[in-house]
Parts: sequence; C-alpha cells; structure tokens
Amino acid sequence: MKQSGKLLSFLGIAVLTLSISILLILMVGSNVNQAFFSFLSGIFGSFYSVSEVMVKATPLILTGLGVAVGSRSGFINIGAEGQLYMGAIAVTGIAFWLHDLPAIVMIPLVILGGFVFGGVWSVIPGFLKARFGISEVITTLMFNYIALGIVGILVRTWLKDPSSSLPMSAFLPDAATLPIILSSTRLHAGLLVALISVVIIWLLVWKTPAGYEMRAVGLNPRACMCSGISVYKNILRSSLISGGLAGIAGVCEVTGLHHKLLEGISPGYGYIAIIVALLGKNHPVGVVISALGIAALQVGSLGMQRMAGVPTSISSIIMGVVVLLILARKSIFRRLLTDE
Amino acid sequence: MDSGFIALVTIYLIDSVRMATPLILAGLGEAVSEKAGILNIGVEAIMLSGAFFSFIVSFFTGNLYLGLLAGIAGGIFVSMIHGVLSIHCKANQTIAGLALNFMVMGLTSFLFLIVFGQTTTLPSCSVFSEVKIPLLWHIPIIGPALFNQNLFVYIALISIVLTAFFFYKTEWGVNLHAVGEHPQAANSAGLNVFAIRYFACFVNGVLGGLGGASITLGQLGFFMENVTSGRGYIALVAVILGRRNPIGILAAAMVIGFSQALQYNFQTLGFPIPTQVFSMFPYVVAVIVLFLSIGKSIDPSALGVPFERNKR
Repeated sequence: MKQSGKLLSFLGIAVLTLSISILLILMVGSNVNQAFFSFLSGIFGSFYSVSEVMVKATPLILTGLGVAVGSRSGFINIGAEGQLYMGAIAVTGIAFWLHDLPAIVMIPLVILGGFVFGGVWSVIPGFLKARFGISEVITTLMFNYIALGIVGILVRTWLKDPSSSLPMSAFLPDAATLPIILSSTRLHAGLLVALISVVIIWLLVWKTPAGYEMRAVGLNPRACMCSGISVYKNILRSSLISGGLAGIAGVCEVTGLHHKLLEGISPGYGYIAIIVALLGKNHPVGVVISALGIAALQVGSLGMQRMAGVPTSISSIIMGVVVLLILARKSIFRRLLTDE
Repeated sequence: MDSGFIALVTIYLIDSVRMATPLILAGLGEAVSEKAGILNIGVEAIMLSGAFFSFIVSFFTGNLYLGLLAGIAGGIFVSMIHGVLSIHCKANQTIAGLALNFMVMGLTSFLFLIVFGQTTTLPSCSVFSEVKIPLLWHIPIIGPALFNQNLFVYIALISIVLTAFFFYKTEWGVNLHAVGEHPQAANSAGLNVFAIRYFACFVNGVLGGLGGASITLGQLGFFMENVTSGRGYIALVAVILGRRNPIGILAAAMVIGFSQALQYNFQTLGFPIPTQVFSMFPYVVAVIVLFLSIGKSIDPSALGVPFERNKR
C-alpha cells in the first residue's frame, strides 16, 4: 500500500508538471497538440536530434555523478560549474604545454589532469568543511565565480589565440581531441568516458569498503566517529572524487565538442547537475537516466521554440517546478503516503 | 588636497553606493533569514522576481510607487515558497533555493516574452530620481554620495540602522538568534520557532524584492532576461563577508560596489586589464576572509537544519 502510494505521488507530480506546462503553452497562445508534437519531434525527429540529446547528457552525467558522490557523504557540492571550468583549464594548459605527445598518451593525461584540477577545486571547500565546519554551500558557490574569472583572464591573456580578436584559446592539437563516435553528428567519445566513469563510481562507492565508509559518513557522521570511521578523511575523499568528475566533464567538453577553451563552455551544467543528482536519487544509474531526461527536455524545448513558438525558458521553469514538487512531495501527498 | 582628486573620489563613491544598494538590501534580508537558521541561496530568484514585477507594474501603471510595492510582493512570493519548503516540508534548503533560481529565471523571461514579444528595443519605464537632502548634501565627498541619491539608497541606509537595532537592541532580535542557534531550546523557552522562521523569510522577501526593484526602478529603467546577472549570489557573499552584521554587510557591499565601479570605468577607459580581475575580486576577498576567520564559529549552529518539534 505504501509502495503504491509512493508511486501515485510521483504520478501526481508528473500530472502537475504536465498541467503547468500546458498552462504555459496556452499562455503563449500556441496550440498544445502542436507544441507537444514539436517537443517530441525535436527529440526523436531525426538521428541528429537524438545524438544531440546524448551530447548534452555527457557533461550532465559526469557532473551529476560528481554531485551524487558528494551528497552520499554529506558534501553538498554547488561548485560543479567551477570544477568543470578548472578541468577545462587543465586540459587546455596540458595540451598546449605537451603538444607533441601522441593521442594515446595525451587523452589519458588530460583526463587525469582535469580530474586533479577539478578535484583540488572541490577538495579545498571539502577540507574547510571537514576540518573547520565551514559550510561548503557558500564556499563552493564562491569558487565557481573565481574559476569563471580565471578562465576569463586566461582566454584574454596567456591562453589567448593571437590570431583571433575574440577571447578564446587556439584550437587544441589533434592529439588532444576526442574522436566523433557517430559520423555526421557531434556525438564524441566523451559519452563513453562518462559511461565508464559511471561504472567505476558504482564499483567504487557501492562495492568497496572505502565506498561503504563514504556512504556511512553521509548517513550518520556521529555513528561513524564512534565506530572508528574517519569523517574527515571520507569527506576529503568524496569531495575530491566529486570535483574530479566535474573536472572530467570539462575535459570532455573541451576535447570533444569545442576543441578550445572559451568562456561559454557550460550553460550552467554544474547547477543542473544538482537537479540531475536529486532526480537520480544520487545513484549512478539514476544519474544517467535523469541526465538523459533533462538533456531531452532541453533539446525538445528547442524544437518547441522553433516550431510552436514557445520560449525555451520553459525548460528552466519545468526543471525548477519538478524539483520544488519533489521537495514538497511528502507534504502534498501526505494522505497517500501515510495511509495504512 | 588636489581638487581634481577629490572630485574623482566623490564620483567613485557615488557609483559605489549605487552599485552597493541592491547588495545591501538583499544582503540584509538574507542576514535576517540566516540568523533564524534558513539558508536561502535563492536570493537571486527573490531579486529577479522583485525586479520583474516592479518593472511590469510601473510600466503599465506609470506609477513608480506601485511598482515598488509590486517588487516587494514579488520578493515575498518567492521567499515564502522557500519558507514553506524549508519550514513546513523540512526540505533541503540549498536545493530548494537552487530550484527557485531555475524556476524564477525561466518564469520571468517567459512572462517577459509573452508580454512584450521579441523586441529589438527594450521597453523602458522612468526611474526614481535623485532627492537632495537639505544641508547634509553639502558635506564634501560623502554628502553627494549618501545624501543626493534615489529613494532606494535611503531605504537601504535606513534598513541598515533598523536591522542593527532589531538584531542587537530588541527582544525580537534575541529570539531570532535563539531560533537560529538552538531551536529546541528556543521551543522549550516558549518561542514559536516556525512563526519566527516564517517571519524571517518574510523580511528576506521584502528586502530582497526591494533589492531587485532597486535595479530596475533605481538604476536601469528596463527589464531584460537575467537582469540581476548574479547579484543575488554576490549578496550572499556580502553576507558572509559582513558576518551577518548589518554594518559589516554595508562595508562588504561598499567594497564590492567599489570594485564594480572600477570595473566599469576600466572597461570604458580601455585599460589592458581583463575586467574579470575585478569581477572575481569580491569572491577572492571573501575566501581569504573565510580562511582568516578559521577557528571562530561564525555560522548559526542550526543554519540549514529543519526544526522538528518532537525530535532532539
């Protein structure tokens, strides 16, 4: 009975979200049928549009996975955006510095570099939280803006392409670009990197003692302290992995998609990642599904704007509304959930 | 002293105060909220909503004061959603704030497009003009900066005094503090933890909405997508830098406002320094201050923790 109540409450959220979307579409004065058709055809209409969903899902899977690992041990990482940019800085720096390396060495090296840069950017707030109890929410948020500032400065000074007037770096050497895995689309090997990371994280966090400790710290830090599991060490560990994954997301975006460093690599992936992790219940498989879902929502809303004239900001509204409803679920559907 | 130098300082001070005003207003609101234990990272959403509704109403009625009230109402609306989620639903306050940022960001640009359509020229309304305060206005340097400004600057200055008085000189302030530090104890002492927290959210909405309105009705005279452009997050930084102390928030907001004023001037003068140096300056300072303040507990103990009456 409880289980079906839970199911019904999520169904209720879906219905509410759908009604709000219909209301918004009616407010623009568009035809609801046409809007939904254009939404779906924006996602499934062509081979290319489906591949676009996966292109958008790649950074969301990686950053979402990072946020999920952090949340599992109680580290609320709002800083995936900044960590992503730090990863992007790392890959650009390494690729230009060691430009003679062959791809077989270069690719693993830049991924490692992105992991380290993103990880360091997250382990500092992690250290401040674990050692001194300073809230990671504000520190990670501030680190986002510092990272963005550093990127802005770099693409105008040291890493600037001298042959261009725009604030961006030169194209990376060929050895530092990920191959396209589906011809005539933008889908690059970053998706494979993301999926491999999902498997590794699942093994690490769910199948090893170290992962068990990290999850235990998230569930009950006091009990861990009493039974000899170091809260300090595990928060450091999970914040490092959390930021590292976001850093890899930055690496994939630069090496797979843009092939250079510029300021607009991420349209807020790091913030959407928090929603991805929440919807995916902080589980690797859930993260993949919700990342694909949110990517589809964004790609579909582009189609809806093109064909039905509904502004794309509807996708941002829907994301916000879904999260708010999920947060309020237990109160809205209290009857359903407490029924014997 | 060189009169040219004094003129320059005066100009920068005037600009800094203008830039700091939205941050002071929103920062004070957030400080009240955080003192009561509600961490709302949706300040951006509150400000954006305030900016949007204040503009829409003053555009269609032509009355700036009605716009001001609408901005406050818009701020309260968003803040109370966050309040209900974090107090009644006991939800994760950070995620609630973030979700509100997404929702309000989408909603304001969506509604703006519906009302005005795709336009090449932004629709605009008038802004509150400067009001000279007699006598005080003539004080050199600080006179023009503090006493020849628009309504929002005066509201911000008065709010600082009122909040400081409220925090440190009234029983209400003590209650607010108690609820944020130890809600169980406050409950045992007969305080209504829920009501006090809702009140704090309400104040946050009023001041945050005013902060948003001060951008559209005090500075720009128009609205566009994401008009607050991260000022809500900077206000959060001002609160941390100012340690939730009204005077501290004023000082922090002025430092940030000054660096923003410098940023715009360097941009227009074409100095070869990337403006990002200035835009990341407040955050770097805030991180340094955090490092320096290590060891002193500055956060309310129950910040971000939902209160449940029958739990220890």
